[in-house]
Amino acid sequence: MADAELKQKVEELIAANPVLLFMKGTPEMPRCGFSMRVVQALDTIDVEYGAIDVLPALQPLREVTAEISDWQTFPQLYVNGELLGGADIVEEMLASGELAEALGVEQPQAAPAPQGPPAQSPPLQIE
Amino acid sequence: MAADLTEIERMIAAALPGARVSVTDETGTGDHLRAIVAAPQFEGLTRIAQHRLVKSAVSERFDDGTIHALSVKTELPG
Repeated sequence: MADAELKQKVEELIAANPVLLFMKGTPEMPRCGFSMRVVQALDTIDVEYGAIDVLPALQPLREVTAEISDWQTFPQLYVNGELLGGADIVEEMLASGELAEALGVEQPQAAPAPQGPPAQSPPLQIE
Repeated sequence: MAADLTEIERMIAAALPGARVSVTDETGTGDHLRAIVAAPQFEGLTRIAQHRLVKSAVSERFDDGTIHALSVKTELPG
């Protein structure tokens, strides 16, 4: 069971920050390669985001995110209250142009260009 | 203890019938694996939901410490 008080705090943070990264270390000084990769992806997009260092409370936070979003490893990037993914998913979405779309910003020219239609998107509903 | 890559592939394939699964050892230490999975069950799911399906299929090997990290790439079967 996750700590109820911590869980509530985490839920409030996720609700209050449209783009929120739970990571090991800080954006200025990531303490894990996977966290660094997400920071770099977000920097490429040039979006404002909140960042939380999970290292001071790693195990309690694992238990909290396991309950909130069925995910226990960090980094975790939340966008508009939903878990978008960790390093693998964020990098994949950066490469396909979907990350900027999910974050509601324009993909900068310097970032990799979208490679055709995203293979993963659900089929469009035509009525 | 190093993971048995074939067993990991079997576990994922058993959870996702019809999936194409390829698991490789990323570091040569047998505990940091990479799985490429193409499964019909991924249709219409977000990436995070697709990854959850793959990770939950092998959660037993995370829990017993055989695997420390599993990097996942999901695809729709082409």
